[in-house]
Amino acid sequence: MIIFRDVSYTYPGAARPALRHVDFHLPEASFALVVGRSGAGKSTLLRCVNGLVPHFSGGTFAGRLAVAGLDPLYATPRAMSRRVGFVFQNPEAQFVLDRVEDEIAFALENAAMPRQEMRVRVEEVLDLLDLAALRERKLETLSGGERQRVAIAAALAFRPRVLVLDEPTSQLDPQSAEDVLNALVRLNHDLGLTILLAEHRLERVLQYADRVIALPDSPDGENGVLCGTTREVLPQLKLLPPLVALAKQLNWQPLPLTTKEGLHFSRALTEHILPVLPVAASPRYGAVGLALQRVWVCYDRQPVLRDVSLEVRRGEILVLMGRNGSGKTTLLKTLVGLVRPESGRVWVDGREVTGEDVATICRRAGYLPQEADTLLFADTVRQELEITLRNHGLPEHDEAIESLLAQLGLTAHAGRYPRDLSVGERQRAALGAITVTQPVALLLDEPTRGLDYTAKEALSALLRHWRDAGMAILVVTHDVEFAARTADRVVLISQGELIAEGVPAKVMGASPLFAPQIARLFPGRGWLTVEEALRGLGVV
Amino acid sequence: MRARLASWVVYLTSATIGVIAFLYPFFSSTLSDEAAMGMEHANDAPLLLTVLIGICFGALLVEAQAQAGSAKMIALLGVLVSINAPLRFLEVAVSGPGGFSPIFFLIVTTGYVMGGRFGFLMGALTLLVSALITAGVGPWLPYQMFTAGWIGLSAPACRPLVRLVRGEGTWREVAVLALFAGAWGLVYGVIMNLWFWPYAVGPQEQHWQPGTQWTDGIARYAAFYLATSLAWDAMRLAGNILLMFVFGLPTLRVLRRFQQRFTFTYQPVEQAGV
Amino acid sequence: MIHPLAWLIWLAAELAVLSATRNPLYLASAIACTAIVLLRLRGRVVDAPTVPLSPLRFGLVVLPLAALFNALTVHMGRTVLLRLPTPLPLLGGPITLEALTFGALNGLALTGIYAAFIVLNYAVAVRALVGLIPRAFFPVAVVTSIALTFVPVTLRHWRQIRNAQAIRGHRIRGLHDWLPLFLPLLIGGLEHAFQLAEAMTARGFAGAAETVPMRRARTVIAAGLLTLLAGWVLWLAWQQRAIGIPLMALGGGMVVASLWWLGRQVPRTTYRPTHWYPRDTVIALASGTAAAAFLVAWPGWDRSSIFFYPYPALASPGFSGWIALALGGLLVPALLIPPTRYLSLFQSAWANRAILKRDASVQEGQAVTGSPSGIATVAMYPSEAAYPSTPTGEPR
Repeated sequence: MIIFRDVSYTYPGAARPALRHVDFHLPEASFALVVGRSGAGKSTLLRCVNGLVPHFSGGTFAGRLAVAGLDPLYATPRAMSRRVGFVFQNPEAQFVLDRVEDEIAFALENAAMPRQEMRVRVEEVLDLLDLAALRERKLETLSGGERQRVAIAAALAFRPRVLVLDEPTSQLDPQSAEDVLNALVRLNHDLGLTILLAEHRLERVLQYADRVIALPDSPDGENGVLCGTTREVLPQLKLLPPLVALAKQLNWQPLPLTTKEGLHFSRALTEHILPVLPVAASPRYGAVGLALQRVWVCYDRQPVLRDVSLEVRRGEILVLMGRNGSGKTTLLKTLVGLVRPESGRVWVDGREVTGEDVATICRRAGYLPQEADTLLFADTVRQELEITLRNHGLPEHDEAIESLLAQLGLTAHAGRYPRDLSVGERQRAALGAITVTQPVALLLDEPTRGLDYTAKEALSALLRHWRDAGMAILVVTHDVEFAARTADRVVLISQGELIAEGVPAKVMGASPLFAPQIARLFPGRGWLTVEEALRGLGVV
Repeated sequence: MRARLASWVVYLTSATIGVIAFLYPFFSSTLSDEAAMGMEHANDAPLLLTVLIGICFGALLVEAQAQAGSAKMIALLGVLVSINAPLRFLEVAVSGPGGFSPIFFLIVTTGYVMGGRFGFLMGALTLLVSALITAGVGPWLPYQMFTAGWIGLSAPACRPLVRLVRGEGTWREVAVLALFAGAWGLVYGVIMNLWFWPYAVGPQEQHWQPGTQWTDGIARYAAFYLATSLAWDAMRLAGNILLMFVFGLPTLRVLRRFQQRFTFTYQPVEQAGV
Repeated sequence: MIHPLAWLIWLAAELAVLSATRNPLYLASAIACTAIVLLRLRGRVVDAPTVPLSPLRFGLVVLPLAALFNALTVHMGRTVLLRLPTPLPLLGGPITLEALTFGALNGLALTGIYAAFIVLNYAVAVRALVGLIPRAFFPVAVVTSIALTFVPVTLRHWRQIRNAQAIRGHRIRGLHDWLPLFLPLLIGGLEHAFQLAEAMTARGFAGAAETVPMRRARTVIAAGLLTLLAGWVLWLAWQQRAIGIPLMALGGGMVVASLWWLGRQVPRTTYRPTHWYPRDTVIALASGTAAAAFLVAWPGWDRSSIFFYPYPALASPGFSGWIALALGGLLVPALLIPPTRYLSLFQSAWANRAILKRDASVQEGQAVTGSPSGIATVAMYPSEAAYPSTPTGEPR
C-alpha cells in the first residue's frame, strides 16, 4: 500500500537532511505506528505519504514513493487527497468552517461533488465516527476529542484508502484520546483502512498496532529505519513503555503488549514472593511553600473548588490528578492569583496573597500554563529570560542566567528563535522564563503534553533537582507514568473536592484509574516503576 | 507583461473612478444641465456612485485575489484578518481616543511586507469581517472596504522611499511607515464622511444658483469636516503614528521571518523514472 | 427562513426609495415599514446580534444634526427665522425654516437607511451573508470563512496570552506594554495559519492555476474599466450624455460579464442548500414594485409627488395613493417571516434581555459625534454575544 524506496529529504535552508535513505513497505489494511524521538522526522515521513513534503514545504527530495498506486511526487497533494486522509496535531488549527457538517463537506464542495453524493458521504462519515448527534453543533463548543473526530471524519470524506495521523492525541486528555484511538481501531478493523499513526505515548496504542516503523534518533545514525510487526521491532528500541521495558529485561516471550498478557508472566513470578506493604516515604520537613485553606471558587455561581485545603512543603513534589473539569487548573490559577477565591485563604512562601497582583505573586511562585507557547515572543531564548527579569525590575546577572540555561540544557540554544525549537526545548525555554526570578514554588499544568519519553525523563530529573534544592513543586498531570516517577505525594481531586491524599504507592497503586502499568501488573505490592519492580523481584 | 499592464490599468482606472466618485457631490451641483431639469430630476447620485464603486471594487478584488490564490496565502490572510478584525473591539474598550483604530497598523505592515494585493485583501476583508462580527453591516461598509483596501494596496509605495533612506530594519523604515499610516489615518476619515454627503446635501439643485462654484461645495464640506471630524480623525492620525513607532520594528521582523516560510516552493529534482 | 437574496433585494428597494424621495409622507411610510419588519424580526431571531446603536438613537442624533447643519449652511427660502451676521464665512446669512426642514428630511432618509441595514443584520445570519459572496470571488469567500472561524480561537488565544504574560510579571503601564501581548498573538496566528494551510492542502484545496482564458477575462475587465471611465468623463466634463452613458453601460457590462464568466470557471458545489420558496419571489416582486414606482418614469404614472422641494416657500407635500400602495410592498417581509420553534423564542427572550441591559449602558457621549465615520467606529461593543450565528430554527 505504501512503499518508500531510499527516500531522503532536506528542508529548504536546513543544513542536514530530515530523512535519509528511508526504505520500507507497508501492506494494505495495516495499523502502523511511527515511533521515534521528537525531531527524528516522524512528521516529515508522514507528510511524504500525501505529498505535502515536498510540494508544500519545498526543499530537496530524492528517492521513490508509491502510495495507493500513485506517486505523491508526481501527483499533486490535490490528487493525493482522494487516496490519503491526513489528520494533524492541533485540533484548533485545521478547520475552515464552524459547523461539524459544513466542515466535513468543505473538501467535497471544493471538488464540485454533486449534492446528492455529498449527502451520502457526509452521513457515512458521521456514522463511522459516531458524530451524528453533533452534526449541527459549532466546532468551538466541542471538546478536543470530539474535534479530532471531526477532523478524522473530514479526512475520510473522500473515502481514502490510507489515513495518516500526526500525533492526533498529544493535545488531548486520556479519555478523549481513548475515544479517538477506539475510533481508529474500528476504522481499521471494519473497513480495512490502512492507518499510519505517529504517537508518543506508546503504552496507550501499542496494543492496537500491528506494525511499527521506528525512526533512528538522528537521520545520520548508523541504524536505518526499522519496519516490521510490533513484536519484531519492539525489542530493538530503546524508549519503551514500562510494561515492554520490564518484559524485555525479564526476557518474557512472546513479548506482552497488554496488561492481560503481562499478568500471565507476572503471576508466575510473584507467586512465592510475600507481599510487602508499601512503606510510607519519610515525610519531609521543609517550610510550607504553598498553602490553601478552606478555599471556595465559583464560576457563574457554580462551585469549581469546594472547601479545598492543601499544603505543599518546600522540598517536595506534589502531583495533583483528576478527571477533566475537576478543578485542577483552577486550583493552580487560584494559587497565583489568576482566579480569585470566593472565600478562604491562600499563602505563597509564607505570605498571604490577598490583594497582591499576579505579577507580584509570580515572583515567588513560577507557573507554567498548559499553553506554554503563549509565553514566548522574544527573538532569542536568552532574551526571554531577560524580559522576565526586566518585568519584575530585577537585576540581570549574566552568571545566574547562564547557570539556569545550563540547568535547562539550553546553553547551546541561547541565541536561537524560541519558536523554532522542538516541543521539549520550547517548554524548557518557557520554564526558564518563569523560574529566572528564582521562585520558591513552582506550579506546572500538564507539562508532559506532546513530550517524548526522553523529554519527560529530562523534565522529571529537572524537577527532582529543583526539589532537592528546596523548591515546593505542584504538578497537575494526567500522565500516570510521569506521576509515578516524579511524585513524592499524590492528591486526587474530583468535582472540586480533594478525595485522596498520600504517597504515590498508596494512592495510585490502589486506584484502577490512576494505576501505572507496573502497578496493574503487580497489584498490591506498591511498585510503580520498572526500577521498583526489578528491585522488588530481586533482579537488580 | 500584458498581465502586468492590465493590473496597472485596473489600479489606476479604479483609483481615478474612486476619486471622481468621492468628489462627485462637489461638482455635481455645477452641472447646469442637471440642475436646469429642476424638479423632475430624482436624487440618483448615491445609487450611481454605489454601482460604480461596486464595479471598481469587484475588478480590484479579482485582481488582488489572483495572487492570493494558494492555500498558504488564503490561510494566512484568513488568520491575520481574524487577528485584526476583533481589534475593533478595542476601539470601545479603550474609550476616549476619538477615531483611533488599531486595525490600520497591520493593514499597512502586511501590505508593505507581503505586497500590495495582499494588503488590499487584508484591508478590505478586515473591515468586512469586523462588520460581520459586530453586526455593523451598513451603508458605509463598501466605502470602508474600498478605502481600507487602498491603504494596503498603496503600502508597498513606501519601499522605494525606505530604500532611498537606506532604512531597512532601522527606525528610519518605521518612520517612513509611520508617516504613511498617519497620512492615511486622516484621509480615511475624510473619505468616510463622504458616503453620506450626498444625503446630507440632498438633491443637487438645492444649492444651484447662478454663479455657484464647485469650490463652494468643498468649502461647505471643509466647514462640516472641521466642525465635526477633524479632532476625531486627528486621534487616528496620532494613533497610527504612535502604533507604528512602538510596534513597527518587532512586527516587521516577525512578518519577514514568517514570510520566508510561506513562500517556499518545490522545484522537482531531475531523477530516474519511477 | 427567508432567502438571503430576497432580503438583499428588499434592502436595495429600501435604499432606492429612501434616496429617491424627500417627501416626508413617503419617507415616514418607508421608515414605518422598516420599523414593523424590524419589530417582527426581533423576537424571532435566535442569537440576535447586538446592534451597536438602535435606529431610534441614531435618528435622535442624526436628525437634529442634519437639520442644524443644513440650516446653517444653506441660506435659501422665504421663511426667515433669524439672521446671522454676514461677515461670518459660510454661516452668515438668513436661517430659514425651509433649509431647516430640508436638513431634517435628509436626516430622516439617513435614519431610514440605517434602520434598513439593521434589518439586514438581524435577518440574515453571518454565514449566509458570506454565502452571498459571488463565486468569482471564491478565494475571498474562503478567507472570510476562515477569519470568522478563527475569531473565537484568536480571542481565546488572547486571554491565554494575557494570563501567561501576567505570570511573567507583565503589567500594562503604557502603550509599550501591549507589545508582549500583541506579538505572541501575531506569532501564534502565523503558526496557526501555516498549520491550517497544510490541513487545507491535505484536503485537496489548491488555488486554481490561472488559465489563458482567465487572463484574457482580466484584460477585458481592465478594458471595461477604461471604457467606463471614458464615458463618465465625457458625461461630466463635456456633458455628452448621449455618448457618455452608453459608454459607461458598455464598460460596466464588460466588467460584470467578465466577473460572471470567471465565477463560472470555479468548479464548486454547495452542501447546505438554500431554498428559494414562493414567498421569496413574493418579497422580491413586492420590493421591486416599490422601487420601480419611485425610480421609473412609466408613461402615465404621476411621479410629481415624489419630488418634494421646500424652496422657495414651504408647502404641504403631495400624496398619491398609488405610490403609497406600491410603497406598502416593503412591508411584505413582515407578513412572511415564518414563526420559530418555542425553544428558540425562549432563548431569544433571554438574548433580548441581555441586549436591553447592554443598550442601557452605552455611553451617550460616544454616540453623539455627528461624524458618521465616528458612528461606524463607536458602533462596536465588546461582548461575547456580539458574534451572531446562524439561527438554529432553520428548516432543513
